[in-house]
Amino acid sequence: MARMKFLCDAERCIECNACVTACKNEHEVPWGVNRRRVVTMNDGVPGERSMSVACMHCSDAPCMAVCPVDCFYKTEDGVVLHDKDLCIGCGYCFYACPFGAPQFPQSGAFGMRGKMDKCTFCAGGPEKDTSEEEFAKYGRNRLAEGKLPVCAEMCSTKALLGGDGDVLADIYRERVLVRGKGSEVWGWGTAYGKPDKPAGDPQS
Amino acid sequence: MRRLLMAVWLALTAMLGGAVTAADSQNPQVEQQQVQPLNNAPVWRAVRYGEPGVTQVRGVDSNVLIQASGETWRQIRNGPITLYGGVLLILVPIGILGFYRLAGPIKTHDAPTGRKLERFSRWERIVHWTTAITFVILALTGILLLFGKHLLIPLIGYEAFSWVGAASKNLHNFVGPLFIFAVACMFFTYLRENLWKAHDLEWLRKMTKVLTGKAHVPSGKYNAAEKGWFWGGVAFLGLVVGASGLVLDFANFGQGRVVMQVANVVHGVGALLFVLASFGHIYMGTIGTEGAFDAMMSGQVDETWAREHHELWYREATSRASPAASTGGAPRPAG
Repeated sequence: MARMKFLCDAERCIECNACVTACKNEHEVPWGVNRRRVVTMNDGVPGERSMSVACMHCSDAPCMAVCPVDCFYKTEDGVVLHDKDLCIGCGYCFYACPFGAPQFPQSGAFGMRGKMDKCTFCAGGPEKDTSEEEFAKYGRNRLAEGKLPVCAEMCSTKALLGGDGDVLADIYRERVLVRGKGSEVWGWGTAYGKPDKPAGDPQS
Repeated sequence: MRRLLMAVWLALTAMLGGAVTAADSQNPQVEQQQVQPLNNAPVWRAVRYGEPGVTQVRGVDSNVLIQASGETWRQIRNGPITLYGGVLLILVPIGILGFYRLAGPIKTHDAPTGRKLERFSRWERIVHWTTAITFVILALTGILLLFGKHLLIPLIGYEAFSWVGAASKNLHNFVGPLFIFAVACMFFTYLRENLWKAHDLEWLRKMTKVLTGKAHVPSGKYNAAEKGWFWGGVAFLGLVVGASGLVLDFANFGQGRVVMQVANVVHGVGALLFVLASFGHIYMGTIGTEGAFDAMMSGQVDETWAREHHELWYREATSRASPAASTGGAPRPAG
C-alpha cells in the first residue's frame, strides 16, 4: 500500500504560488482559507529559499491527538482526513500542528471559528467518494479519480512532489546525485575553479 | 540649499546601504551560499527553530514554516494535565467522602435559639450564586472538553459526543466572561470581611484541632480557611484562569500559537486546581457543616450557629443590631 507524502524541493521552488492558487481553484476553498502556502526564507538576499507547505499527513499527527471530539482519521494511504460534521471549531489542531495546516473560515470573538478546513491530499472526506456533499465540504477527491494532488501535479518546476513516499524518495535521491554538492554545483568548479576565498568580495 | 539636500540624501542612502550589507553578512545562509552552494543547513536550522520567513498568505503565524512548540503543548496537555488532573478529580472527592464518613458533619454544640441573624445580604447571595452557577457550568463543560474524548465517546459515540462537545465549547466560551464579571463583583463585595487579621493566624496554627472539633478559635465573619478560599481561589485562581481564558476566548485579536499554547496550559492547570479546591468549599457549604447551605440560601443563620462558628462576627453583629437586647442572648464564654 502506498504511503502518501508531500516533498518540496527547496532548490526548485521559485515561489510562484501556483500551488496555492491551483488548490484554491480545484477545491473552491472559501475566502480566508488557504490549504497551502509558500514561505520564503532569506527573502531578497543570496541564499533565498522557498518552500511550499500544507498538511504533511503525519504518521503521529498532533492534530489527531489533541482533537477533543476525535474528528480526525487516517486513510489506508496514510492521508490524515477529518470529519467536518464532528468538528466543533475549537482551534486545538491549529495550536498543535507544526505546519500551520488547519485553517478556519472565521476568527470571531467567543471562539467562533467555524469548521476547520485543511489539505486533504485531494482525498475528500468521509462522505461518499466524488459525491456533491463531499465536494462542498472537502473539495475534489482526486485520489478516488486516480489522480494525485493538483498542487504537485501542476508545479511548473516540479519542486513540489506528491504521491507514494517511496517513489518520491527515488526521484529526490536521483536529483541530489545529479546535482552534486558544494563547488561541483552549477559547474562552478569548471568555470571558475574551486573557490579558495569567499566569492562576491572583489576587494580581497 | 539643493546641494545640502542632495548631500543629506546621499549620506542617508549610504547609511541604509551599509545597514543592508551588514545585515546580509550576519545572515548565515548568505555566507554558506558563497562557499558551499546547495548547503542549506542555515535555512533548515532557521526553519527548525520557527524563524519567520515571508509569505503571500495572510493568517496567524502563516510566515512560519514549522513551529515545534505545538508538540510540546500536546505532550503537556495530553500527558500530565489529562493524567494527573483526571486522577485528582477522582481521588479528591473520594478523600472528602472518606473524611465525611469518619468525621461526619460539623454540628453546633448547643440547641438553636430560634433567633436569626442576617449573614448574607440579598446582593451577597446574588453574587455568590451567579458565581457558583457559572462556575459549575464552566467546570462541567471544561471537564467534558478535556476528558469527554476518553470517557463519553466509547459510551455515546462520535456523533452524539460531537453535539455535546459543540454545546460545551459554546457554553464555556459565552459563560466564561459572565463568570469573570461575577468573580470581580464577588471580590469587591466580599473583600472587607476577608482581610487577614491576627486571630486568623491563631486559627491556622490550630487548624487540625479546630476542624476535628478539639479546639475553638474565635473568628470573624469568615474563618481563615474561608479567607484562604477567597484569596487563593476567588482572587488568585479567578484572575489566572479568567485572564488565560480571555486570551483563549478572543482569538479575533490574532494571538500567535505560542501565546495560545501557554494560555491553554495555564488555564488547564489553574482550572483543575480551582475545581479541586471548590470540592472542599462545596463540601463545607453543604453536607460538611450543618446550617451553612441554609445561610447562603436564606441569608439567615441561627444565633447559636453564629456564636459557635464565627464568634467575633456574632458579637459584632448582635451589638450592632440591638445593643439593648444583646443581654438576652448573652454570649457564653468561648468553649
